[in-house]
Amino acid sequence: MSTTWTQKHKPQTLDEIVGNREAKHKLHSWLKSWSNGIPKKRAAFLHGTPGVGKTVTVETLAKELNMELVEKNASDYRTADAIKRFAGLASQYSTLFGGSRLILLDEVDGIAGREDRGGVRELTKVLKTARNPLILTANDAYNPRFSTIRKYCEIIEFKKPTIREGVSHLKRICTKEGIAADEEALKFIVERAGRDVRSAVNDLQALAQGKTRLAMEDVTWLAGRDRKEVIFNVMRTIMYSKDSWEAKKAVSSADVDPDMLFHWIYENTPYHITDPQDLVKAMYYLSLADIYRKRIRDTQYWTLLKYVIDFMSSGVAVSRQRTKSSGWIPFRFPEKIRMLSRTKGERALQKSMGMKIWKRCHISATRSTKEVMPYLKIIFENNPEMAAGLSNWLDLDEDMIEYLAGNKKRTKTILAKLE
Amino acid sequence: MSYEMWAEKYRPKSLNDIINQKEIVERLSSFAKAKNVPHCIFAGPPGTGKTTAALCLARDLYGKGYREHMMELNASDERGIKIVRETVKTFARTRSIGEIPFKILILDEADNMTSDAQQALRRTMERFTETCRFIMIANYSGKIIEPLQSRCAPFRFSYMTKEDQDRYLRNIIEKENIKILDEGYDAIFEVSEGDLRKATNTIQAAASMGKVIDAETVYSVIGRANPEDVNTMIKTAMKGDFLEARKQLREMIMKYGVAGSDIVKQIHTAVFRSMLPDSWKVTLSEAIGEADFRMVQGADVEVQLSALLARMTEAGHELKRGG
Repeated sequence: MSTTWTQKHKPQTLDEIVGNREAKHKLHSWLKSWSNGIPKKRAAFLHGTPGVGKTVTVETLAKELNMELVEKNASDYRTADAIKRFAGLASQYSTLFGGSRLILLDEVDGIAGREDRGGVRELTKVLKTARNPLILTANDAYNPRFSTIRKYCEIIEFKKPTIREGVSHLKRICTKEGIAADEEALKFIVERAGRDVRSAVNDLQALAQGKTRLAMEDVTWLAGRDRKEVIFNVMRTIMYSKDSWEAKKAVSSADVDPDMLFHWIYENTPYHITDPQDLVKAMYYLSLADIYRKRIRDTQYWTLLKYVIDFMSSGVAVSRQRTKSSGWIPFRFPEKIRMLSRTKGERALQKSMGMKIWKRCHISATRSTKEVMPYLKIIFENNPEMAAGLSNWLDLDEDMIEYLAGNKKRTKTILAKLE
Repeated sequence: MSYEMWAEKYRPKSLNDIINQKEIVERLSSFAKAKNVPHCIFAGPPGTGKTTAALCLARDLYGKGYREHMMELNASDERGIKIVRETVKTFARTRSIGEIPFKILILDEADNMTSDAQQALRRTMERFTETCRFIMIANYSGKIIEPLQSRCAPFRFSYMTKEDQDRYLRNIIEKENIKILDEGYDAIFEVSEGDLRKATNTIQAAASMGKVIDAETVYSVIGRANPEDVNTMIKTAMKGDFLEARKQLREMIMKYGVAGSDIVKQIHTAVFRSMLPDSWKVTLSEAIGEADFRMVQGADVEVQLSALLARMTEAGHELKRGG
């Protein structure tokens, strides 16, 4: 119970590591090339933001290729002296048992700080003479202090996984832990972690450990303290500053997903901009922002994002002309996002029931939600016998019957009649 | 014990059983007699017998095994160009075995098909006319592209009269052995407005309560079955309560899955029927049209419609001030 999920559910195979297909492949072939003699570049330099899977990829590859992995962390190579100490290891041929050795210098960002400028020089020497593959990782490979090192390294970039990939990773964990999690909730966790998988897994553990279900409601508080502050500040500026430039600046400088922010602004605007004429303008600008969101979705032309931001920030801010301020009004979590997760299962059920109705009643599943199901509900609430007959005729399953009957007790009665 | 939806149980089986749409039934019967059917469009409001007529025609044409010679597709659930290309083609190209050389394809809710899909259909229709006849069913024939319309014989279905509806319902009442007051009939016609599916569903739901059906029972069924009411939402907005109106809009979209196009259509009708000054009607109409167009293009239904609701809130506000 006390192990962290990042450890417990660490990927065991290369396939289990989400995203970065290209980087994994590149690293794999470079490592393989060692079997044909020492390649031109004796080191690989993996770079990318935290939590994208650099270290775990190296660990997994070492296992798959049956190599002995020697991990060195920052304290081992902070200074020239420390580097000299392990340099020998790198220059020795193979291991005691004949397998090959892989040396990992994790998080080299810390190297060559103020303490010892010789660090980089010493490391460069190691890179030139190594007889075993060496892998370096860093967040930013293009830091000028790495310019020499870079020349001797195969540079491999690790990108942030997509939200979907992040979600699939969390899903795998949830399955193992026996948690039924809403996709929306997982998406929210991944997004809010900035697609840092490690941090998303930590968040997931904090939220879901010991539970069997994880819904949107359970994760919304993650928009906790500092994050909430960020959003609230932006909102306050947009709703009350009247200064279009300030509003725009607030949005662009806030490190929040613009889509999420849009939902926040859309939810809260009518509570704060109450004069009907002002509201018309504000909603008009939001509807324009929505159009541009849609255009970005269609074209993936992200430079259009600035217009979304213009409309949802400045547009809303300048709309406030006549509305008088009426004291402090709290900001609310976007209802749409909450409802979307809450009604998701319901909509899926309606859809599959709709297909059954279509088979019998010559009406589309879409229209049946409105034109048949409401009547079925009344029947299922009032007349178990007729309900049982109809369940039979429509071939409804238990979930559908319960949905129509509205509670467990009625469902039982109907099911009993079905026997 | 066996129960079905009464709308199915009492759906006419043969063209001869259809009690309304006299001219249409006559012409369709003549097709059945001649054993030849052109491509058709059945257009008209919901619950007026379009699907029934198509099914009856197929049955009268092919007899008992009619299901083997026809296919029913629903454009709302399977819209898009892919369905037309694959399903329709596979079905349309193979020759029917038997006396009648063609099959019948019923394409329900065809007005929900994208125009691309309709374009694709046009070629299919022409190529396979020998082996397959299309019956396209739509609420609005205007949403069917011209080239398709010109290839089809049009049939316009109209609402049931009260006499016809009562006659049809009376048959059900007798067979199902239920009790209803005259005011019950009146109430059902009032709320169903000649939509026979709605009327039949209403009477079945009312009967499930196990009491004599009076007007009150009917109203309570309808009230429960139609919580999503565009008119209520408009009234709420015009009264000045934008927040509540937006909430109702959300419920409609998310809980009941009402399509944005349906909502906007009803708003449009309601605005023009309302007591608003003409100048406001035109102003709102522009906003309605814009919202409609944007939604067609794929913008967010709730965001676009709530921008429209804000306009209505403003209109209500101006009216109150006597503007």
